[in-house]
Amino acid sequence: MYGVLGLLLTSGENLMSRVMCVSSAAGVCSSSVEQKIYVELNETVPCVRLLNATHQIGCQSSMSGDTGVLHVLETQSDLDWILSSGPHPPYMVIMETAFFNRSVMMRMKNSSRVSGVAVIVSKTGLAQNFSPHTTCPNQNTGVYVYSESYGSELANCNVTVWNPLGNGLSYEDFSFPVFALKDENQTQVIRKCYEDHNQRVNGSAPHYPLCAMQLFSHMHAVTDTVTCMRRTDLQNRFSINPEVLCDPLSDFNVWTSTRPLNSSAKGHAANESVVIAAARLDGRSFFWEQAPAAEGTVSGIITLLAAIQALYPVTQEAPPPRNIFFTFFQGEAFDYIGSSKMVYDMEKNDFVIDLKNVHSILEIGQVGLHSGRSLWMHSDPVSRKNDSVNEAVSEMMNRMESAAAGLSVSVGHPSFSQPLPPSSLQRFLRAGPIPGLVLADHQKSFSNRYYESMYDDAENLNVTYPPGLTPDEQLVYETDAAKVCDSCGCVAQLLYGFLVQKNNSWFRSLLLSAGPGPPQFYIGLGPRIHGPVHSVTRFVQYILANLTGTVTNLTESQCQNPSELSTENKDLFSYFWVSGPASVNSTGEPFCVRASVRLSEAVSPAFELLEYGSRNYSTWTESRWKSIRARIFLVASRELEVMQHRWS
Amino acid sequence: MDLSSVFFIGNIMNLERIPNEEKLSLCRRYYLGGFAFLPFLWLVNVLWFFREAFLKPTYTEQLQIKSYVKKSALGLIVWVAVLTTWITIFQHFRAQWGEVGDYLSFTIPLGTA
Repeated sequence: MYGVLGLLLTSGENLMSRVMCVSSAAGVCSSSVEQKIYVELNETVPCVRLLNATHQIGCQSSMSGDTGVLHVLETQSDLDWILSSGPHPPYMVIMETAFFNRSVMMRMKNSSRVSGVAVIVSKTGLAQNFSPHTTCPNQNTGVYVYSESYGSELANCNVTVWNPLGNGLSYEDFSFPVFALKDENQTQVIRKCYEDHNQRVNGSAPHYPLCAMQLFSHMHAVTDTVTCMRRTDLQNRFSINPEVLCDPLSDFNVWTSTRPLNSSAKGHAANESVVIAAARLDGRSFFWEQAPAAEGTVSGIITLLAAIQALYPVTQEAPPPRNIFFTFFQGEAFDYIGSSKMVYDMEKNDFVIDLKNVHSILEIGQVGLHSGRSLWMHSDPVSRKNDSVNEAVSEMMNRMESAAAGLSVSVGHPSFSQPLPPSSLQRFLRAGPIPGLVLADHQKSFSNRYYESMYDDAENLNVTYPPGLTPDEQLVYETDAAKVCDSCGCVAQLLYGFLVQKNNSWFRSLLLSAGPGPPQFYIGLGPRIHGPVHSVTRFVQYILANLTGTVTNLTESQCQNPSELSTENKDLFSYFWVSGPASVNSTGEPFCVRASVRLSEAVSPAFELLEYGSRNYSTWTESRWKSIRARIFLVASRELEVMQHRWS
Repeated sequence: MDLSSVFFIGNIMNLERIPNEEKLSLCRRYYLGGFAFLPFLWLVNVLWFFREAFLKPTYTEQLQIKSYVKKSALGLIVWVAVLTTWITIFQHFRAQWGEVGDYLSFTIPLGTA
């Protein structure tokens, strides 16, 4: 009786306040009754649904959110309480870091008493290793695929398991929402609510009113990419109010070359023999848009940028016999989106060079954790059965060894029959035998214990700064990692910018404004959805322009339209308007930089060919959603709990 | 709709003051109209003329009205059975039919198969 009255009062007040809200002046309209009931949690990160040609992965909530009574999972007895003995199912589990592993999550998945999970992300209690990726990354879209004749005995990681610590959580399908709690203050609020109301006293069950949490992350797409794209097409054709259900993952690759290439001339470039130097630009983790990817990605990016900075002035003075083509591939975590697109363009003569122009490929993989200063050169055994390829690869290895000898870095090569690790070179080999090497810090399996997870951050790379430094001091502080290279001036700044804080003075001087914290390397949905270029791609593009470009004295309007001037060539160069370095007194004078840095689209060829069920190309899409939020509140009884979340 | 037509329809629904031939012709029109894939006309026929056909004392046209009501009821039952069967099958198997299910659907729910 009291419950019903309470419900009527609550919903009536809600209605009243909403009516008053609507009729009040158009300004800030806050429903004060709602604020008294719910505490909105603003600093949460969801897990979203991703789809490929055959499966869906990720998490889904019901349309009106999932509600459950809070319970903090700290000990084994808590786990039993949640899964079998607690009297107030379903529970909303607040999971301590130590319990976020495969066995616990699978038990949650199979239980009907769990309505959602919120994982506390912290370093306390973190296991020695945690990789939610699969044990054999990209096993169906590399060059060693079981169905093909190319090295099928090397397929599916038969010879070497590259990520043995992987538990595959990122590729499971959960029917309840999983959120990450990254903000310590917010976690404290939740804990306080739990301790005040939900804690067990002397082993007996707590009484109502109890603290409950509601998570909203309803995903629109379902089953797989084929279904989702078909339904989107149907909506676009027949519905009055068409809704897009999912979007393909896409962004841009960044490339540059020591000798500028004419971007309007597509197809085979005459008299060009090109060496490609490549690195990957993306990462991922279990949660949406969280991917610090320090060892997995940033180590390769910074190495290649430092190499470009050291090489570029030398190649301008004494040009080498071959053009060097530096490229950063986006989307490699999701079945090689960027590299497959570039190879596809080359095969269709839709790129500035084609595969016959490519002499060899050197790829920089994960190089951050080399212990004892040793690097390994991985090569492909199947293509090396061809004599000319074998000769070229051996020559590349000899050159690497002689270069390394003078730098006190030892370079070795693993056994001949070991296949390539997951790398963009595999996509090039699918198109034809090309001599290539992949540099990595691991001989057999990855040294990275947190591959593609939220914990692959600066600490994983041993990049730490002493406390008490201002941001500007930290920017130029040479950590142990930065001391590796003597002649590379900006490695320290690159490490700081890519691992710790992207809103620093150097990035700002390049006209790059960004939010606080380290950059996240998740590929995202590209320019159609997210506006202009993804932040990490833009950083690399502008830094490359800064490192390899020349300053011109063009005005801003000339910089936007350089084709009007006869001295400038829009086909060979791109023009960037950058604001200068800011000092205390002034904001810096902007100027125009001319560089041969370009972007090329990184969207899977499956979406151009409309083959959404393709086995050869990446078919990853990300679902759309209406709202993602979380809130906690008190429930007075079971009936009110059910009705309350439906009314709101 | 103005007030006079409301009273008119009220009188029609009443059936008290309508002569028997008009009742018969109404019943027949509703019966024939139901064949144009309009089972609701049969439903209305059954509900409206039930008392006329079975509960009133006999008059000349009542036999024909009775036959029309019975035939309308039969048609109605057939329609209900067919629709119920189809709706049950569709709701149960739409997700498994994949492409065919999507092409048959007018609105497809978001987020569930």
